[in-house]
Amino acid sequence: MPGIVLLLPVVAIVVVTIHDVVRRPTLRRLALRNVTRRRGEALLVVVGSLIATAIITASFLVGDTLGASITQMGPADEYVPAPSLARLPDIAAALSSPVPGTDGTLPVVRSGATAASVHGSPRLAEPHAAMLEVDFAAARRFGGDAGATGFAGAGSTPSGVDAVVAKDLARTLHLKRGDSVDVYAFGTRLRLRVRGVVPRLGVAGLAVQDQTNSPNVFVAPGTIARLAARPTARLASVPEAFVLVSNDGGVFSGATHSAAIRQRLEARVRPVAAVSVTTTKQDLLDGAKEASKSFTQVFAGIGAFSVIAGILLLVNIFVMLADERKSELGMLRAVGMRRNQLVRAFGIEGAIYAVLAGVAGTVSGIGIGRLIVVVAQRLFNQEERFRIQLRFAVTPHALVLGLLIGLVISLITVWATSIRVGRLNVIRAIRDVPEPHVVRRRLRTMVLSGAGMAFGLLLFASGVAGKAWFGALAGPPIALFSCIPLLSAVVPRRAVASLACVGALAWAVVAFTVLPKVFDNVDIPAFVVQGVILVSAAVALLATNADLSVHLTSRLSGAGTALAARLGLAYPVARRFRTSMLLGMYALVIFTMTFLAVFAKLFGEQGPRFSREQSAGYDVLVDSNPYDPATPQVLRAQPGVASVAPLLRAFPNFTTTYRTKPMSWPLTAFDKSFLAYGQPKLRNYAARFGSERATWQAVESTPDLAIVSDFFLRRGGGPPQNQIHPGDIFSVYEPTTGRTARLTVAGVTTSDWVFNGVMVGTPWAQSFFGKDIALARTYVRVRPGAAGEEVAARLTGGLLSHGVDARTISSIVHTRLQQNEGFFTLMEGYLVLGLLIGIAGLGVVMVRAVRERRRQIGVLRAIGFPARLVRRAFLFEAVVIAVQGVVLGMVLALIVSYQLLANSKTFNDQQLGFKVPWATLAVVLVAAMVASLVAILGPATQASRIKPAVALRIAD
Amino acid sequence: MPVTGSDILDARGVVKTYRTGALEVEALRGVDLRIPRGQYLSVMGPSGNGKTTLLNCLSGLDDIDEGTVLVEGEDIHAMADSRRTEYRAQHMGFIFQTFNLIPVFTAVENVELPLLLTGVKAGEARERSHGMLDRVGLGHRTEHRPAELSGGEQQRVAVARALVAKPAIVWADEPTGNLDSQTAKPVLELLGELHAAGQTLVVVTHDAGIGAMAERMVRVQDGRIVADGRPGEI
Ligand SMILES: Nc1ncnc2c1ncn2[C@@H]1O[C@H](COP(=O)(O)OP(=O)(O)OP(=O)(O)O)[C@@H](O)[C@H]1O
Ligand SMILES: [Mg+2]
Repeated sequence: MPGIVLLLPVVAIVVVTIHDVVRRPTLRRLALRNVTRRRGEALLVVVGSLIATAIITASFLVGDTLGASITQMGPADEYVPAPSLARLPDIAAALSSPVPGTDGTLPVVRSGATAASVHGSPRLAEPHAAMLEVDFAAARRFGGDAGATGFAGAGSTPSGVDAVVAKDLARTLHLKRGDSVDVYAFGTRLRLRVRGVVPRLGVAGLAVQDQTNSPNVFVAPGTIARLAARPTARLASVPEAFVLVSNDGGVFSGATHSAAIRQRLEARVRPVAAVSVTTTKQDLLDGAKEASKSFTQVFAGIGAFSVIAGILLLVNIFVMLADERKSELGMLRAVGMRRNQLVRAFGIEGAIYAVLAGVAGTVSGIGIGRLIVVVAQRLFNQEERFRIQLRFAVTPHALVLGLLIGLVISLITVWATSIRVGRLNVIRAIRDVPEPHVVRRRLRTMVLSGAGMAFGLLLFASGVAGKAWFGALAGPPIALFSCIPLLSAVVPRRAVASLACVGALAWAVVAFTVLPKVFDNVDIPAFVVQGVILVSAAVALLATNADLSVHLTSRLSGAGTALAARLGLAYPVARRFRTSMLLGMYALVIFTMTFLAVFAKLFGEQGPRFSREQSAGYDVLVDSNPYDPATPQVLRAQPGVASVAPLLRAFPNFTTTYRTKPMSWPLTAFDKSFLAYGQPKLRNYAARFGSERATWQAVESTPDLAIVSDFFLRRGGGPPQNQIHPGDIFSVYEPTTGRTARLTVAGVTTSDWVFNGVMVGTPWAQSFFGKDIALARTYVRVRPGAAGEEVAARLTGGLLSHGVDARTISSIVHTRLQQNEGFFTLMEGYLVLGLLIGIAGLGVVMVRAVRERRRQIGVLRAIGFPARLVRRAFLFEAVVIAVQGVVLGMVLALIVSYQLLANSKTFNDQQLGFKVPWATLAVVLVAAMVASLVAILGPATQASRIKPAVALRIAD
Repeated sequence: MPVTGSDILDARGVVKTYRTGALEVEALRGVDLRIPRGQYLSVMGPSGNGKTTLLNCLSGLDDIDEGTVLVEGEDIHAMADSRRTEYRAQHMGFIFQTFNLIPVFTAVENVELPLLLTGVKAGEARERSHGMLDRVGLGHRTEHRPAELSGGEQQRVAVARALVAKPAIVWADEPTGNLDSQTAKPVLELLGELHAAGQTLVVVTHDAGIGAMAERMVRVQDGRIVADGRPGEI
């Protein structure tokens, strides 16, 4: 538990502090006096650390919110199927008194349908809509949190021809309250009136097969039974009835003890019917949770950079406080205060700031988190098919963690800095003399240095051996940095330190390429660690050699700007630790932003190529109602259609080496017509086939061969956890017939933008699935000269009764790419916030710097330093830090991304060309500069207004 | 005192009142003072009676409420702040009691500041500053930061800085206030040498011994000049 590790030092510090506050009135008085005597300073410290705590808390809150929102299952934890519609009430009755560990049940009836708009031209259709019957009042009670069910404002259960539609369907069909909507099911058409719209949340957002979209229509109970009972009903569409069960606890904690509860549920309904609480739907839940987990992970990774930036700000502020107090603390030591008393008095003072800032920061964090969520929601809503209903969730977990991290970092920094000051030579402290730069050859340092080296090397060796990325990535830098004290006994320190930094930098850049096996399936945290290593090595390198830049400016001649530059540079160089913290904060945020920008651009520009690779020479993809499909004959008769390739589709269960629990996944069968004009591109294929085309042809004609995409049986984004390779074997299982088969991977597609899933030959598919596989998708090639978009629009409008949804392949790819872009944009927005906070932090630090240097400014003004030069010096100082941070972050990110794209196997296969996103970078650069300037303008102007006669009287 | 046309400074009826909220402190209540070129003037008086205020007002560091201050014939309080600042850079040198130096600059960097401010080339400024530090006996400590120097050494660096641009007048406010007599000695000797070389000097002090080293002394009490003459006469 990292929480415990975080807690321990804080508990110790808190115990000591409370003891001192209660039992040591002298220490308490000293601390309180300091706080109240310098209200301005105290306020700045609190504001600065408040900002840092706020960003940390906001990061956690946003992560939780996204996690909460993506889990569309809401409160439902188990799914108990009824053998038939008629038996549903019995099952529901059996479960009416809750099974231990659960706190609610909800009977649901569901059927697939095609929904179409009634007005407008062309009419819009959604062939994968779901008709659902559920009691709204019961749904609201389900799981104990009405807000999580999606029915909070939905009113009463629909009756008659009233319907309540989910937001996804309302968007696709442009429906609003009062509109009519046609639903095609069981071979008939039902015209309904939209009474309201519910969000994609909880039961209202219940999704099957496609987790990112819930085109639901909630109808009056009994509707489905009535339609199914019609004598002419085509019963290909089987209505489903089931009971959703919610476990004790919230939306997230619920799923943990699902296995035991499943057995209890099965036992409970056994007298009624021997149903199994099927793993299929459990998988669906797992899938959604997994998707949310990987999404949250990406966010947490990105958020980690903001958190680290916040931590650096905190450290900076408290180090600054100690610096300011240095001579005073030294004075107290001189008059006989013992070291530990001094540390504790300062500890009390720091604790006061930390607690104030922690509490206020956590509260502001809620506001900031909310703001991010609102912006994110806007962004998500702009995208065509990438819609997430965000529900801002303030979880105690996030608040406590944010508060704790803020407190821990503040308290530890306060104690560490005051212990350092306490150990200073009294005189050096009073006179603010920097620690002499002697190479300490003390035995302890040497031993520690050696131990650090050994540890780093060991970490590396075990990382490489165990294919654990952390050790392999972090080991060499740890060893390198540890050897600095040891080696600087024989070689000049600057050289050793610089070399160590360069070494660490180089390693972090090339590690992924040099050890491809170790970094094969790395996760987001690896990139966070990589970024942190890169930035800290680069910042350390700059800090080690910062004095060189001073030599440079001292060569500059002339009054005015050169002098301001010299002054503006002198302070950051003299306070290297503080400067490094600020620099690191900037660089980290910019690093991540640049990295994202490179990849966003990369994917954004691949559209035409991806559609070409996907299309097999066809233009339009037609999905239609599998129970009443648009047949090839019908489609061929449509204007503009040159030829068609019909595909059969089913959704069986699969298992493979890395997923032993059965999981539902689409399967698409193709015949020779699919290969008439080419074939979709393969990333790789079994060598024995010789060519991509031969591979496709073999799969078409040979049973037991299949082509899959590289994200086969995976949910959610993020880097691949497990990859499937040609030659791998997996199992397919058809639940209705109970048949199983083993398939061999012949080839792997580069990307499956239209989600065909597992591709097999039609002959084998028909022999295996029989009547359980149906024509559901057709590739259409348009006549020369005809526009794909127009043909698609005409097909959708003209074949509405077949539930046709025709879209060009390029537009599908385009929308999918937009989703990616939207995602990237959101990430960037998130980071912009990190940057803003960094800039605000810079402002606070500079305000404090102005106060700290008031008397010096007075002297400068007295000897003839013009006011504008004072201002310019401060502006210069801030801009130098900002420019360095921005340039550092950008350059590092460009190097790493270039290196990844050029050398990493994963990306190289996709042949994504590296391109610098100049436009975005320019915007980031200018925005960061301007914002930094604005933030510093206030303090700088304040500095320039300082009156020499007044400043000179400041005793300090 | 004979009134000659070569007065470097001519102050008449200077009034300075500090206002903080409703409180008013009349720190200078009508001061007239002329300083001939090349004079070594000491300003003495009990603590809190307006010595520092006088120095600040005469040198243009602070604004005045009434009166005029002509420095080399120019009314410094009629100048805009930027012009007055420039004027200080070109014609005045300052030495304060404590925290005189910029801590992040080395001794030589501190000394060369006034030269750079008046547009002297970096190379030449460095050279002249080294020369000046030599003169104050710190030629071997030029690359040290202020915190690494003793109080007396710091003060000598401040003297070097005050003199390096060859100012018309040097102002010193308790230049040895923070030093023991042992350390103060070389600083005071330095001031004496300057005077001998023709430098105009105004030194504020409450140490009678130091005041006596000047050729003329004024006594400030209650915001007024209450005595003016040779040190021995007062
Ligand atoms: N900024 C200010 N606001 C209000 N009163 C002030 C201010 N500065 C100085 N004074 C008051 O003006 C008077 C003169 O102060 P000044 O510093 O000139 O005295 P001083 O003779 O230099 O004293 P010392 O020998 O202690 O340095 C004092 O009463 C002081 O309290
Ligand atoms: Mg004084």
